[in-house]
Amino acid sequence: MIGYGNKKIWVLPGVYKPAEDSFLMVEAVLKELRPSDRVLEIGAGSGIVSAFIKDRASVIAIDISPCAVKCAKLNGIDVIRADLFDGIKGRFDLIVFNPPYLPSGEKIGDWLDFAWDGGEDGQATINRFLRQVKDCLTENGRFLLLVSSLSGVDAIMERMTSLGFIVEELLSERYFFERLVVLRGRMKE
Amino acid sequence: MKRDLMDILACPMCKGDLELTVEEENDEIITGTLYCAKCDERYPIEDGIPNLLPPDLRE
Repeated sequence: MIGYGNKKIWVLPGVYKPAEDSFLMVEAVLKELRPSDRVLEIGAGSGIVSAFIKDRASVIAIDISPCAVKCAKLNGIDVIRADLFDGIKGRFDLIVFNPPYLPSGEKIGDWLDFAWDGGEDGQATINRFLRQVKDCLTENGRFLLLVSSLSGVDAIMERMTSLGFIVEELLSERYFFERLVVLRGRMKE
Repeated sequence: MKRDLMDILACPMCKGDLELTVEEENDEIITGTLYCAKCDERYPIEDGIPNLLPPDLRE
């Protein structure tokens, strides 16, 4: 179990243990969230981000890992096991994604790989997400995406812009070997 | 899972609507099945968690 803010979060074996990236996303969401928002979290892992959202707005979480969905459920989150948006329909006001963003390396060979392995350039899952997210946002909907200097912030911002999103850096933090940024995307008026 | 989750669940293959069959329920649905008539595919609900992975990705 780990503690952050006023919360205690269970972390089951095989689930990504919340770290700096998770905490930065919590802070970004608290900054962005409006009480009327209907929120979807993709790749929820332990469910830590949704646990903070849940106090202020309605949230549903998704993860592909069987360990992660059990863990998020244990932490009181309404959770679905699915691959990105594949198992759902409908639109959300805010979509939150802390993706697997590290370039592929040696795999551990279990579900934890899904928590960090972003393909050869670290952007594979992010690109799949960006192609689909537009269809799941309400008219004034926004999404928050956590990216790292290790997978290339500028390239992802450019891709978002080319897909027609207005992109802003909502929050960022420098750590020993990487800079983490929470990007906010929304559709052009 | 809560019953109102049905509003947003869809078949991962055709995005169509799903039919819910409940086997165990207390304040929420614990065990059951989600059926897509178009794909003739069943998706399980276990321990209160719907599993919407296509059959080849499901364990």
